[in-house]
Amino acid sequence: MPSRNRAYWLIVLPAVLMLVVLYLAPLGDVLVTSITDPKPGLANYALLFTSGSVQKTLLTTARIAGATTLFALLLGYIVAYAMRAATTQRQRLMLFCVLLPFWISVLVRSFAWLTILGPQGPINAALQATGLTDEPVALARNETGVLIAMVHVMLPYAILTLYANMRGIDAGLVSAARSLGASRLQAFRMVFLPLTRPGLIGAGTLVFILSLGFFVTPAILGGGRVLMVAQYTALQINETVRWGLGTMLAATLMIAVLGTLWALSRVIDVKRLFSA
Amino acid sequence: MNRLHASGPIVAFAWLVLGFLALPAFAVIPVSFTDTRYLALPQEHWSLQHWQNFLGNADWIDSIGQSLWIALAATALALVAGTLCAIGCWRLSSALSERLRSLMILPMAVPTIVYALGVYRLYVDLDLVGTALGVILAHAVTGLPFVVLTVSASLANLDPRLEQAARGLGASVQQTLRHVIVPNIVPGVLSGAIFAFIHSWDELIVVIFIGGRALFTLPRRMWDGINDNLDPVIAVVATAMILFTLLVLIAELSLRARRAT
Amino acid sequence: MSAVRFIDVRKSYDGRIDAVRALNLAVADGEFLTLLGPSGSGKTTTLTMLAGFEQPTDGRIFIGEEDVTRVPVEKRGIGMVFQNYALFPNMTVGENIAFPLMVRGTAKAETESRVARALAMVRLDGYAGRRVQQLSGGQQQRVAVARALVFEPRLVLLDEPLGALDRQLREQMQYELKALHGRLGVTMIYVTHDQVEAMTMSDRVAVFSAGQLRQVAEPRKLYEEPESLFVAQFLGESNTLSGTIESRKGNQCTVALDGGAHVIATAVSDESATHLALRPEKIVLGAAAASCANRFPARVVDVSFLGDQLRLRLAALGRDDLIAKLANAPGLPDCAPGTAIEIGWRAEDCRALAQ
Repeated sequence: MPSRNRAYWLIVLPAVLMLVVLYLAPLGDVLVTSITDPKPGLANYALLFTSGSVQKTLLTTARIAGATTLFALLLGYIVAYAMRAATTQRQRLMLFCVLLPFWISVLVRSFAWLTILGPQGPINAALQATGLTDEPVALARNETGVLIAMVHVMLPYAILTLYANMRGIDAGLVSAARSLGASRLQAFRMVFLPLTRPGLIGAGTLVFILSLGFFVTPAILGGGRVLMVAQYTALQINETVRWGLGTMLAATLMIAVLGTLWALSRVIDVKRLFSA
Repeated sequence: MNRLHASGPIVAFAWLVLGFLALPAFAVIPVSFTDTRYLALPQEHWSLQHWQNFLGNADWIDSIGQSLWIALAATALALVAGTLCAIGCWRLSSALSERLRSLMILPMAVPTIVYALGVYRLYVDLDLVGTALGVILAHAVTGLPFVVLTVSASLANLDPRLEQAARGLGASVQQTLRHVIVPNIVPGVLSGAIFAFIHSWDELIVVIFIGGRALFTLPRRMWDGINDNLDPVIAVVATAMILFTLLVLIAELSLRARRAT
Repeated sequence: MSAVRFIDVRKSYDGRIDAVRALNLAVADGEFLTLLGPSGSGKTTTLTMLAGFEQPTDGRIFIGEEDVTRVPVEKRGIGMVFQNYALFPNMTVGENIAFPLMVRGTAKAETESRVARALAMVRLDGYAGRRVQQLSGGQQQRVAVARALVFEPRLVLLDEPLGALDRQLREQMQYELKALHGRLGVTMIYVTHDQVEAMTMSDRVAVFSAGQLRQVAEPRKLYEEPESLFVAQFLGESNTLSGTIESRKGNQCTVALDGGAHVIATAVSDESATHLALRPEKIVLGAAAASCANRFPARVVDVSFLGDQLRLRLAALGRDDLIAKLANAPGLPDCAPGTAIEIGWRAEDCRALAQ
């Protein structure tokens, strides 16, 4: 019996080795560097409380991630609900509309939004053609643009997580509530909505932690004016070569994300969040 | 009685949001045919000039080749290691192997920028910066979770007694894997391969850090293009990538349909 | 006065096939009526329309004197028990039962006392604070019943409520539901595909097949006097013999079987082509057959011993698949396989039904 299991432990080994050497070790190095560069101590972490530009970046990051989460949940809930209520055929079409952008790379999508929202893009062309404005409206290279594109990137995560949750809810419960005298709104508010709470928590957390570490979208649509923590970190390494500050920010980001996930894992099965 | 009710305005709004989701994919396509020298819809007529620029440019073609072979090599590595790991964890199904499987998902959760910093430092020490091998290894390890998740999902539908039956009939571990387990999870393995491939094909942040001066994958060249001068040729690249993704997505969906039956 | 009336009700989902056609049915006040039929027979659609989840394509539905055809679900005041109980998992047992009172704005003190009474009624005193997931199937079932009754509805609908329970529990719940019905006197309409359940519990049973109401009657009458071949075969077991009615006299007729023999039967059908339905336990053997209007020579093909009865396969009238059941009582005739024996039955026990 033990020898039989040994064979299976052996085939697990390559992946584990890869993960440890090529993934966990570098992450550990980031943590170590953050408290040793330029000299041992927590001086880098003190910047979280003293540096104005660090704080501004963190605030921007939290604000954008928060707003993205809010919009993604709101829009995502409506779409997931409509999908849950639709016929199987419609569901398939809707799912395709959700998966299509999900699969296109974030870089391509961010570029697409830059094109759409830019001064010569179709939206501004339409606005000027209808005479609503004379000048192009600044939709890109600011926080509005970042937010639109981030919501676009995050919506599929929200929709898929919420939809998976809603699919597990017996629609007969809503019928039961109605037969017992509840109006449509009451049945939704008292029965359906409470049952989607795990989905809302899961989707909200997922979108929030993914938004926190976003790099490409704010970099492209922010036009250098909207600095979120990932891009700010990259700048510390590539422009000013401040490894201590850079790794500290990276470590903070990682701890925030993993801490949130750990807290969430006490409420729901986190592994399922990532299997969509 | 067992159908949920959604009122007209709700459904209409949902379709509006779905339109918002699908819009960007289709908006760049006409831009790639613009007759202007900047990013805009075609003004007077549709033009192929930027497509010609793209196809005539050795740098772009070179990038496609680099992206392709890095993605293929990274996928192969992730696929073998990830599939074996998923099978091992499935068969062992102990508390420890469950932990291991959760750990495998870490690269999906940790922000890429954190890993990019770490792997850059590692590669400086190992002298792997700017090498294809370095990028392949980094993409393989971050592609592992996709394979482990899809293969595990396939295995979840497989009766564990199948393995016991095979072993009971005298098959070795290798024979059991080859003739019993793997043939039953082919759709999951293929799905995992597609995910891992797309992951590497699209990956930008790690390449920015460890690509050095020699390696310009397609996303990296696009990124530089966006930052330097917003040439419509980038819309051509984006269109090409969207069409390519669409093909892969259709392949994956048909796999999923096969898996469901 | 009728508690419920269906008047010319028709329901079609796709505009071509009728899930329910030309339904006319009146349910008496305080009655326990069961809608019985195989799946797809229209019984559930009928219940769904009465509950208000579906609208009839044609026709009208009355509850008491009120035309409820277009009244929304929540305004119909019907208590409903669902197949899988449909207990709200986000609420406790007490909150589940209080739900219909809460949405009606009942005062808190009144709600509490009513919930307590409803719990006592289903013998679940003290369970108010439990989560529904902690309950067994039978307990969940009782909570669902309490929830449907707590607001004293004028009508209670039960959609295969016992389908998920094991046999022993099901029999106990049948008894409890029946007792509850007797005590409260509320009109109950019950859907099932289990004929034994229907026979055990109901004042009357309405048999459905292929969207049509075939017969409504008390269980015994339904069994003894089926009006169609479908009812005769769906409820219990029947031997069927096809033939042609040659002559009629009063309510009796003479039927020429396809094999040539003549049988005297009770005439139900107006047409001449007919199927004779004959319950296996109505066939008597040997000396007992002497007094019967119909007598034929037969040979025993096969015998199964079932404890309380013997089940015989007989060859007679040119076929070898006639089934007879004999109670395992003193004085059994010799019926080993191969035995030649006379069989017989009364004209009253053999019904000539429409094709």
